[in-house]
Amino acid sequence: MVPKKLRVAWHERNAPLLEAAKADVAAYYPDLHIVIECRVVCVRGSFPVMDEAGVLDRFLIEITLPFDYPESIPILREVGGRIPWHADRHVNRANGEACPIVPEEWLLRSDHGSFLAFLNGPVRNFFLGQILVESGQPWPFGEREHGIPGLIEAYGEVLGTSDEPTVLRYLECLSRETVKGHWECPCGSAKHLRNCHLEEVKSLRKKISPRVAQQALLRIRELSAQELRNAVRR
Amino acid sequence: MDKNEYLQLVLSGQSLGEDSAELKELQTQRANVEKLIRERFGSVPIIRYGGSRAKGTLVKEYYDLDIVCYLPCDSDTAGENLQEIYGNVRDCFKKGYIVEEKTSALRLKGNAADNYMRDFHIDVVPGRFSDENNSDCFIYQKAAEKCRLKTNLDVHIQYIKDSGVVDAIRLLKVWKARKGLRIKQFAFELLIIELLDGLKTKSLSDQLMHIWEEVSGSVDPIHVEDPANPSGNDLAEIMKAAWPLLRAEATNTLNTIKWSGWEVVFGAMPAAKSASIADRAQRASASVSTPNKPWCPKS
Repeated sequence: MVPKKLRVAWHERNAPLLEAAKADVAAYYPDLHIVIECRVVCVRGSFPVMDEAGVLDRFLIEITLPFDYPESIPILREVGGRIPWHADRHVNRANGEACPIVPEEWLLRSDHGSFLAFLNGPVRNFFLGQILVESGQPWPFGEREHGIPGLIEAYGEVLGTSDEPTVLRYLECLSRETVKGHWECPCGSAKHLRNCHLEEVKSLRKKISPRVAQQALLRIRELSAQELRNAVRR
Repeated sequence: MDKNEYLQLVLSGQSLGEDSAELKELQTQRANVEKLIRERFGSVPIIRYGGSRAKGTLVKEYYDLDIVCYLPCDSDTAGENLQEIYGNVRDCFKKGYIVEEKTSALRLKGNAADNYMRDFHIDVVPGRFSDENNSDCFIYQKAAEKCRLKTNLDVHIQYIKDSGVVDAIRLLKVWKARKGLRIKQFAFELLIIELLDGLKTKSLSDQLMHIWEEVSGSVDPIHVEDPANPSGNDLAEIMKAAWPLLRAEATNTLNTIKWSGWEVVFGAMPAAKSASIADRAQRASASVSTPNKPWCPKS
């Protein structure tokens, strides 16, 4: 693995993308500003949750655009201390990171390269939800289960199955750079792929890149390892 | 409505009523903080209140309560030196709060499951009076060049209250909060007072324009002095660290006002509120075209 200091950050290799993000922020969210600290792009300020009548509410936020953005999801934090760090509020208790959406769900969207789309979509939806939860109402669009079940649910919706082993087999298959007909079909039939769901897998590959499938598998593995560590500790 | 009437409306929208949930919670937490101090150190510490409410600069979007916990000059009840006092006062809150250690203050946050890391907007500042007049005081400075700092809460409060520019301070606090500018609030207030010296009778809009023009036009940070300790509290480093962004945002704001008007800076004044925030959020949610569900890695 290349050390971070030797890696080229996204804004260093793709200056136009940074300029586009700056222009969008200045035009649509003038209270946010973009700074680069230690080669990391951060967006800070007051995020206005708008409705047709104007500003509904405001949240102080910080968003970090990771080194490999837009191939990784921006990291959102509410920094005004208004939202408790609690799984039911979809804020990671360990580090205060908000989880507005399963990361790979975002990366599968065609507009995931647009920072403005991230602000207008997951960020706004997240804070609309927080306003409602603060007033004792449920999450407006529902919520994912915490941990691995939520990931399986999200990946399963894209893959068309809710069965965890099947989801994992599909992700494994999609994470490879090529597809071979003699492979075992991920559906679990034990048939060769060419005699089973080859066309479906080819079609899924158009939506889900090997990189996103790899990230999904990695996320599940990391969470599994973490849960195991926690269980041992208990 | 002219721009000054508009700014006054913005200010009135930033007030917190005595029966507001925010102030009630602040009072509840204040009582709890005092209880924890008294339980641990008895009646010896002298507890006073500062922060934006005491100074009259409170705004809804950015408020805090400073609770100073000062020991008499000859008391070792909470420790023999400033560092010990800081540490012992910190420890007395540990069963009720997550304590974030700032340079001199202790920021209190929730430690229960349902309010974990929620900010109560309370800073407790431990210290010791420098003499029997109980006026000037020394506070500990963690990880700073000088480990103690002489200060005076009453001088600070009075200096801001008597500045004659409290409205400008309140509006610029809103501006600073919305821009997420990281400059110590006290230094920022001193900067405003310094720049508005002799301009107290100007209109609010003129005062704000003057501040942004001065900041925007000054390549180097503007010098400010701590009225409670003009020679001993060097604020130059604070100003230097914050200056580039402060200056950039002042320039942006001037451009925004020039091209788009004041409402883009402080927001449009809402029409008469017929619906609650929650009702509006509910309606806004219903019109979201691409909904998504939140998740969390851990239960």
